[in-house]
Amino acid sequence: MTPDRRHFLTSALALGALHAFPGISVAQAHRLVFATFTGSWEEAHRDVLVPAFRKANNDAEITLDPMLSVDQIAKVKASLANPPIDVMLHDPGPALQAIDQGLIENFPIAQSAHYKDLIADAQLETGPAPFFQVVGITYNPEKIKTPPTSWADIWKPEFKGRVGITNLNSTLGTGWLVEIARMRGGDENNVDAAFKAIEELKPNLAAVAANPGALATLYQQGQIDIGPGNFNAIQILKARGVPVEFVAPKEGAIAFQTSIHIVKNSPNKELAAKLIDAALSPEVQAKLMESPYLIVPTNTKVKMSGEIAKVLAKDHDDMKKKFVFQNWRKINQQRAGWIEKFNRDIKL
Amino acid sequence: MAASTNIATTYGLRLAAPLAIFYAAFFLAPLLILFYVSLHVDPEMTRFGFTQYAKFLFDPFSLAVLGHTMWIGVEVTLLCLVLGLPLAWLYVRAPSWAQSTLMLVILLPLLTSVVVRTFSWIVILGRQGIVNTTLASLGLIDAPLKLLYTEAGMVVALAQVQMPLMVLPLITALSKLDPSLLDASSALGAGEWRTFRKVILPLTLPGIVAGCLLTYAAAITAFITQTLVGGGQMLFMPMYIYQQATTLSNWPFAAAISIIFLGAVLVALSLFSLLGRLSKGYAHA
Repeated sequence: MTPDRRHFLTSALALGALHAFPGISVAQAHRLVFATFTGSWEEAHRDVLVPAFRKANNDAEITLDPMLSVDQIAKVKASLANPPIDVMLHDPGPALQAIDQGLIENFPIAQSAHYKDLIADAQLETGPAPFFQVVGITYNPEKIKTPPTSWADIWKPEFKGRVGITNLNSTLGTGWLVEIARMRGGDENNVDAAFKAIEELKPNLAAVAANPGALATLYQQGQIDIGPGNFNAIQILKARGVPVEFVAPKEGAIAFQTSIHIVKNSPNKELAAKLIDAALSPEVQAKLMESPYLIVPTNTKVKMSGEIAKVLAKDHDDMKKKFVFQNWRKINQQRAGWIEKFNRDIKL
Repeated sequence: MAASTNIATTYGLRLAAPLAIFYAAFFLAPLLILFYVSLHVDPEMTRFGFTQYAKFLFDPFSLAVLGHTMWIGVEVTLLCLVLGLPLAWLYVRAPSWAQSTLMLVILLPLLTSVVVRTFSWIVILGRQGIVNTTLASLGLIDAPLKLLYTEAGMVVALAQVQMPLMVLPLITALSKLDPSLLDASSALGAGEWRTFRKVILPLTLPGIVAGCLLTYAAAITAFITQTLVGGGQMLFMPMYIYQQATTLSNWPFAAAISIIFLGAVLVALSLFSLLGRLSKGYAHA
């Protein structure tokens, strides 16, 4: 009935089956399979990345199989000797899980035409980041006439009952917690200050959404007017005529690497590396930077333009100054504890 | 006689075999795997033990989540019953042309996806939603009420979403009720309330119990509605399981919570059916 429950069940089943019947898989060749994310990601990859890859590689066959990170990991883990996926796409948290569980192969940097042009934060030998996701302040310009400039603005008394955040299930919610900790003198190792800050935010909090999608809906309904938001999610809302604006706070916008990985034991390693190289290429990234995709490029050869240049950074040097990257290895180690604390303490 | 009964039984069993195999493969086996996963001490699943169960059962917070989830089910079921009984009554008493329209209205929620139904509740309950704008234009409120992301809002939304599950068994039970019994009751001097309590209620109890079972089970496991209308700060069992399984990849704990939840639901459901069985005696008294 609910896609999430079904996803969860297949994942649990896959892991269970793996333990019950080790060595069940039989190696076999298949066409290149790229597990992208669902929704606007799938659209962007189907329309831009796949055609570019096929053009550069003799019309090589490729299948897009969009799914959540957790499902990608479960599927590969269940059949590690003969993975059903060749290329995975991950947020930083799940990427580290996949790396730690030995599910991925290092990217062959020497053979890549574009890896060297990536900005330093995107150069990851375990799998480079062709895109960044950016979190800043979202607000409703019809209700809030003076654009906010700092994360601290969310605590202003004038926004009593107008603020929406997400819980820590999402990369967005967890990343925001760390950033708030940093604003109050903490960091990835010490987020107590952030929990105290959220406690102080309670009079302003109208909603703690269960996921970023649900949070976006609340702007549409006028339920909330300000809060942390994902740049791309906000652009989608804006394109549908919802009165929302995105600003990068002066503390810096939170940036996440969306990294792309070759799956261990993939029978299509060479093609997989070529697909990744296509995703790193300035042509693909420049096209994905345009409307309606508005995906933040990581290749320094791409000249920033449009909404991204206006709102986020005018070039890659500016980006280095304005983007804040977080240490997800440290975050992953403590996330379970934070989620437990959030479950217990944040009651409205 | 005994021989022929046996033949009939074996025949019946063989017919049920495809379903039995289906259940064994796609329900029982996954359930066993789930149980197997839950018996691990660590998320990497290398050591066996019952620590996941102990972790849940000795933790007041987790028990409160379980209790709250079960309680939400009771609230939704009662609301469905109170609203559903008159609706079912209306349907049974309506002329046949009105019945088909009514049936369409009753079934309509089942014909739309639960996601769509839930989103419409976000629109209804929002600050600029139908309820708030109506109240404001009537001058009853100055500032919009907070309805979305509250427990009350969620219970109402869940009740609407699950309503057909309550109304359909009630309709079946009420249609079987012989109208002459009601006439007899009133002829014997019983008032409306007394007729309802002494005649209608006992005779339709099987339908009520069936409706309550379905609504209750559906309400406490309704992940989407709980999440979207209830919000992220209210934690219920489905979300708790999801969080542990997907965000934290702690499958043993998630599996243990699932098994405990399943057990709790089974206990609640057997209480319902026990109630139904006890009431049969009451009906014949």
